Amino acid sequence: MNRIVIVLVAVILVVAVFLSTLGSDTARRLQSGFFNWISPFLKTGSGLQSQIGSVGEKMKTFDELMAENARLTTENKELRAMNLILRDLEAENNKLKDALAYQRNSVFKLVPARVIGRDASTWWNTIRINRGFEDGIEENQPVLTDVGLVGKTMTVGKNMSTVLLITDESCKVAARVEGSRESGILNGLRVQENTGSGELQLNFLTKMANLQPGQKIYTAGVSNGVFPPGILIGTVKSFKVRSLDGQAIVEPAVDISSVEDVFVKVDDK
Amino acid sequence: MRLAVGSVLFVLAVFFALILQEFIPPVKALHGARVLLVPMIFCYAAMVMPAWLMLLAALFTGFLTDLNYLHVVDGQVEIGLGFSIVFFVLFGLLANGFQPAFRRGHWWLHILLSALGTSVFLLLQFGMITLRREGFFFNELVAWRILGPGLMAAVLSPLLHLLVVQAGQFLPDDINALGGYRDER
Repeated sequence: MNRIVIVLVAVILVVAVFLSTLGSDTARRLQSGFFNWISPFLKTGSGLQSQIGSVGEKMKTFDELMAENARLTTENKELRAMNLILRDLEAENNKLKDALAYQRNSVFKLVPARVIGRDASTWWNTIRINRGFEDGIEENQPVLTDVGLVGKTMTVGKNMSTVLLITDESCKVAARVEGSRESGILNGLRVQENTGSGELQLNFLTKMANLQPGQKIYTAGVSNGVFPPGILIGTVKSFKVRSLDGQAIVEPAVDISSVEDVFVKVDDK
Repeated sequence: MRLAVGSVLFVLAVFFALILQEFIPPVKALHGARVLLVPMIFCYAAMVMPAWLMLLAALFTGFLTDLNYLHVVDGQVEIGLGFSIVFFVLFGLLANGFQPAFRRGHWWLHILLSALGTSVFLLLQFGMITLRREGFFFNELVAWRILGPGLMAAVLSPLLHLLVVQAGQFLPDDINALGGYRDER
């Protein structure tokens, strides 16, 4: 090994040690800069992938398309009507809460986003979305679909963000069980067969919880927490009593392996 | 000229491999193991580049890999920046040591080292995560997640070698940065 190589190894190791001492904010800023570089390529790749995937869809006959169009138009009208009713209900609900001196829940402001990449890492469950701080996204904001909770934003770039999925072991969510006073902490598993639509575990339930399969699990919404209350997370698959607590295995409401469009709940400012 | 062309191609290959990996779905037959292209590409570069250039390549590859996999939850960095740099330096030194044999035509060494490097990288990541989080466990699925990508690297590395050698034929010998051992004969 010649002298140049030895010096280079030493210099690189010093650089590596220096990088390892960087704080999480600096590391995030560096990652955010890296996202700015790769996001155009990920968006292009994602677009190509969806175009390839939609080739079969484009083969539909004219009649099929007409029927689909009619169905979607009706559905759109229904949803518009339902939206109006829900707005009224929401306003009424807020008024009642005000009357009861509850803290007024602000209306969700949702930013629609598209999944442009699925993290190829083995040990973490994350996805990449095509929205960043330019769109008002910040770290630790809930990500959901019309079906339920998906996760929370992690590193935010200019126009791309990483979302930590609820199926990841490090994504912990305060959750409550429908129709009971039971609540606990929910998180994913470190390794599971199908990380996209895998199972979640709800820990720290009481031993007497006796949850039944099919019971729904919602976010509990702790103060200063990331997730607002009332978002559907999943349904109970099984329940077991452990030495100190009860544990439920929960099936996520959202099939994360196939989700393409999500919403990020941003702060109302 | 030869090294400059090779270096540019390497930088582009690593950058686009990181992006391409995102679009490759997990292999169901290998219990959901992912396909990792970067260690395989780096391994090839380490076997054809001079040692000093390989070290710079390790710094570049490690830094991008760390940025790509950086996982910060609640203000805590799970695996700090710099881990992959150290890994790729050590792995590169090992692979570079096999360069004479590789140049003599033992191309299968790339298969072995790619598989080894990919699996060891994942094993070290798993070890660091286990240290950071609580509760050690090791089951069949974890083993598949570590060995599966290594197996995929072993399957794909001859294709990479073939691609590089074929592409190298389109370049004049004096700037043939791709063929590795080809212009040594």
